Amino acid sequence: MIVAAFATEKGMREAAAEMRHGDCGFVETYMAMEPWEAEVGVKGGSVLPAVMLGGGIVGGLGGFLMQAYATTVSYPQNIGGRPDLSWPSYVPATFELAVLGAVVAGMAGFLLLAGMPRLYEPADEADCMRGAMLGSYVLVVRPADSAEARRVLARHAPIGIKEVAE
Amino acid sequence: MSGPAVIAAGETAQSVTERICAVTLREGARPWTPLWWWVAFAVSLGLLGTGVISVAWLFYAGLGIWGIDWPVVWGLDILNYVWWIAIASGGTFISALFFLLGVEWRTALNRLAESLTLCAALCAAIFPILHLGRPWFFYWLFPYPNTMGLWAQFRSPLAWDFFAILTYVFASILFWYFGLLPDLATLRDRAGRPGQRVFYGVLALGFRGSGRQWRHYRAVYAVMAALMAPLVVSVHSIVGMDFAGSAGTGWHSTQFPPFFVFGAALSGFAVVLVAILPLRALLGLQAYVTARHIDVLGRLFLTSSLCVAYAYLMDAFSTFYGSDPAERTMFVLRVFGLYAPVYWGTIILNILLPQLLWWRAVRMTAPLIWLIGLGVLVGMWLERFQIIVTSLARTQMPSSWGQYTPTIWEWSLLFGTIGLFLTTFLLIVRLMPVVAMAEMRAMLRGGVG
Repeated sequence: MIVAAFATEKGMREAAAEMRHGDCGFVETYMAMEPWEAEVGVKGGSVLPAVMLGGGIVGGLGGFLMQAYATTVSYPQNIGGRPDLSWPSYVPATFELAVLGAVVAGMAGFLLLAGMPRLYEPADEADCMRGAMLGSYVLVVRPADSAEARRVLARHAPIGIKEVAE
Repeated sequence: MSGPAVIAAGETAQSVTERICAVTLREGARPWTPLWWWVAFAVSLGLLGTGVISVAWLFYAGLGIWGIDWPVVWGLDILNYVWWIAIASGGTFISALFFLLGVEWRTALNRLAESLTLCAALCAAIFPILHLGRPWFFYWLFPYPNTMGLWAQFRSPLAWDFFAILTYVFASILFWYFGLLPDLATLRDRAGRPGQRVFYGVLALGFRGSGRQWRHYRAVYAVMAALMAPLVVSVHSIVGMDFAGSAGTGWHSTQFPPFFVFGAALSGFAVVLVAILPLRALLGLQAYVTARHIDVLGRLFLTSSLCVAYAYLMDAFSTFYGSDPAERTMFVLRVFGLYAPVYWGTIILNILLPQLLWWRAVRMTAPLIWLIGLGVLVGMWLERFQIIVTSLARTQMPSSWGQYTPTIWEWSLLFGTIGLFLTTFLLIVRLMPVVAMAEMRAMLRGGVG
């Protein structure tokens, strides 16, 4: 695995593009702010909004059914002469539980898809990796041909480059 | 809106990172925690101590130590709950609503505002538990299968309130922590001391800023913001329905949900102003919290005060437009009776005082706008006193009228929660980045903020 740091986003972007174009192996970018998707070669949106929608539906539907079960089957009460299945009064708790379900699904889904928590990665062995969240732009490459990958990276003037064992 | 810049000239992504990390990690010539922080923390702990004693005595002696009785069965307990939960709203409005609106000035304020939300929501959540006669059974509020065969009364706004507060506290914590992840990673990589690296490293959960992580991060943050904005409106609407759902005089009104949302916005913006102004000077954040931010907060503050004024007017109008003599009598007594100073204090502090903010010179004078903010926080507390206590003290039957005087144990609990609020907020200010660095960097680049 090769870890290379660049002083500018442009340098990293161009190096990443050339590595991907040359099919040099797996390439991942690291930087301290949200990247422009087209610039770093990340394609497609995240599936997590759909996951959060699913969490919201599960939370809301579960909340509604729980209230319906409690007030019609398990513990029916006459409250002001309303029918047992007085669904309008279920709406506030249903909404709150839908939001809760969506937020929890979003957080859990993010941790799963982002590969977190992971406190250690082999790439951390490269000193330049520490600069990724501090303002430099880092590429991690898992090349098929290490020597060729180093030659490509060197053409884009990295400020640091290190090969670490996976 | 034109006006001063949202960030000082010459600031770069690098300078933002260095300045904010230096505040949190105590880098540079002064590696120790400043004296003002220790003094404030000691005072906060002292206040928190009064609350701990008050709660201990409450658990030992029971609710009889409070001044509540028939007919005023809700006193400072519910008053303080409503006051704190309204204060909590400011952070969510700024962080979530203005994120969706894409306003730039939000970026420097959202971290501190969200932290204020967390601390205030924590204080609010305590009161509904403590006001139970047997608080150790508070878990009965959870809808869970139990051997008693009982369920919560799902048609009651009080049950809705449980779900609202549970969701609000939990979602606020997740939204705050989720937003912190990139900044915790920056602190982890910047920290020099091993203890700091472990502390921030564990909290960052391994966020490294990979393309994959940012892609999912951005998507989840946007959806969370889109959920938090209606959530905060629903929470305060439900708090309003706690009152409107009963037949009590002065409460049974369809305007209560928006009325409570307006009040929440006013006190939320007030607490953000009251907290930001001194911190801006103490932490040296003038480059990031600029005159533009103070101006915008002042305008929001004035707007929400006008919304509250409209609600007060509608409250009076609907009382006299209606035909219920008990409602009219209660309102007249509210304005001219025993608790009249509370009513007029509310009007002066929440409506009249903020009108000074029409003048830019007042908005731009930090001590003045700070005092107005503090006045509104007191005014909102008085508003809750008149809504809760005056209504309960003057019910439909004059034979059931009573009055309420809080005891020292209720006051000490209020001051104890102020201590809890300040203690948790000071810890966050000391240990967490006070400005969202990743968002500032993106804003400076012209990217997604």
